[in-house]
Amino acid sequence: MQPRQLIRGALKTLLTAGFFILGILSTGHAAETADTDEAPGRVMARQAIREKEHWNTTDHAMHPALQQNFTSGAEITAACLSCHNEAENQFHRSIHWTWKADDSPEGAEHGKAGLSVNNFCISANRMKDKGCLSCHPGWNGVEDGINCLACHGRKKINFKEAFEDYAYFMETGDEESLQMATDIQKDIHEAVVTIGNPERENCGTCHFYGGGGDGVKHGDLDSAMAKPLKTLDVHMGIDGQNFTCVRCHTTRLHKIAGRVYTAPAASDRKSLIEDDLTTKITCESCHTATPHKTVSKANDHTDRVACQSCHIPYFARVNPTKMSWDWSKAGDRKDGKAYTIKGPLGKETYMSIKGEMVWEKNVKPEYFWYNGSIRSITAKDVIDPILTIAVSQPEGSRDDRNARIYPFKVHHGNQPYDKINKTLLAPLLSGPNGYFTLMDWKKSLTLGMEAIGLPYSGQFDFVKTTYVFPTTHMVAPKENVVSCMECHQREDSRLVNLAGFYMPGRDRVKAVDIIGWLVIMASIVGVSLHGLGRIFTNGKRKEG
Amino acid sequence: MIKKILLSIFGIWVVLSFIGVAMAAEGGNERKGKYSYRKVYKACFERGAVESEKPSISPDAKTQAQWTRVFDKKKFDEFGCAEEWNKLSEAELLDIYTYLHAHAADSPSPAKCK
Repeated sequence: MQPRQLIRGALKTLLTAGFFILGILSTGHAAETADTDEAPGRVMARQAIREKEHWNTTDHAMHPALQQNFTSGAEITAACLSCHNEAENQFHRSIHWTWKADDSPEGAEHGKAGLSVNNFCISANRMKDKGCLSCHPGWNGVEDGINCLACHGRKKINFKEAFEDYAYFMETGDEESLQMATDIQKDIHEAVVTIGNPERENCGTCHFYGGGGDGVKHGDLDSAMAKPLKTLDVHMGIDGQNFTCVRCHTTRLHKIAGRVYTAPAASDRKSLIEDDLTTKITCESCHTATPHKTVSKANDHTDRVACQSCHIPYFARVNPTKMSWDWSKAGDRKDGKAYTIKGPLGKETYMSIKGEMVWEKNVKPEYFWYNGSIRSITAKDVIDPILTIAVSQPEGSRDDRNARIYPFKVHHGNQPYDKINKTLLAPLLSGPNGYFTLMDWKKSLTLGMEAIGLPYSGQFDFVKTTYVFPTTHMVAPKENVVSCMECHQREDSRLVNLAGFYMPGRDRVKAVDIIGWLVIMASIVGVSLHGLGRIFTNGKRKEG
Repeated sequence: MIKKILLSIFGIWVVLSFIGVAMAAEGGNERKGKYSYRKVYKACFERGAVESEKPSISPDAKTQAQWTRVFDKKKFDEFGCAEEWNKLSEAELLDIYTYLHAHAADSPSPAKCK
């Protein structure tokens, strides 16, 4: 070993030992004060949620409007609206009903009922894909009025089947059939009067299964969130705070806070201290902008690093989530039949009707500057198929004062595009003529583009794409958060992709390094000389 | 000659069996069967013998031939709730069989109990 390397090694060892000792001392101090000095952000959050129990002034089971035999969904809705007479107007204006983003840039028409496309299930074809419509909160897609029970019903029954069977048994008319009809009506009535604010199951029926299956769309929302443990989500954990979705997704005039695509979930990040009527949709709403203990360095991060970046170290921690979907591989048959292959995580890695898919568990997010808005392209926008197309991407940069570093799931796709018009295509997937049934690209693309009213040249190929999902659920317990070193390190830093600024530990400025080493060496030489001096003078001091 | 007679008898027996099964399946009322099947588990749940009022076995858990064998032998042990199953009339059993058979795994419309 060269003497230079030897000195360098020795210095490194000394420094590491120094940091280690400092670490132990500070940890000891933290442990000592943990019980007595709680982080103010936690105290504030506890105060914000201390009133947990809801109370009602109405027992719906006793309500005269609901004391009737219901033979259709429309009759149930009419009964609800006979008292809640503004609800329909309000709900008809919400994105849950319209499936259109009301803040789309001019002419863009974002939303499932607009021209939006994604890189997993691709398109809802302006609400003409019946498969997608199963998640529209109406009795029969958009045609038969609002189904209030989709969100407010606490007892789940198959209403369509119940109404059909009730009608059949009433018509049959024999004693046994009439008894069955009575039983069915009892079930319907029970479901109609067992109502309340939306529970996790109400929201999860659609939001856990977005994109056509459990965990397909979001990495931080899947069926595991129906009854999660605290280790999966500190807020929703049934062994902890046991929040429902609407605890944070507060609602005004049936518009639910929290949508983060064309516009941020909240225009400003206010806490309840500043405004007691603010939504509870951001972390700061309850935890404030300085949530950690006063001495904690973490408080200095909150203006530029989103809470989620540290507090959601991995997503899909219980169930796997889909990370890529290659539609170009769809259509293969074995012995003339469609087939399916399951992978090690128990999920389909190949389906003839869908193509090749990759599923992952415990996924480390990717980090981007993000000001709360996401820029998306629609089926109308012209693309350059040589590139990987960002179907959606976070807006914001380091220079944007509203932007912070935020964790994302990035889903990779390979999806059809129009070779002549250079636009992404929206195939019709479900139904008798959809791709899932016929496995015929030509037909499904023609029908799908007809449905959304955009031209299709008839020539298609596949293009690589990406799509981002902000990660905000699955907040881990504090002992499992991302450690400082996972970002502040030279190798494998979580923030390796974020350039244009100096980050201690991750980045190196040669001049600063040289000055630092010189200071360290000078200090060692000084201490050594001083020590030697004391030795040679036998520790004697000059008597005054 | 004896061989031919035996083969013919066997052939007729097979054909009659199939016709019998088909007629039996057609004879019941599928809708009534669905509710009778659910009622068994609702009653069983109410007396605290099972944890869910949803039937434990869905129609698509077996093929049509398997359902036929189960109801031919009338061995309902795997369903649990013996008390309720023993109270079912022949007509109710036929209805339940018709429902399960019509939505078996290899039927045109396999179904789960929801």
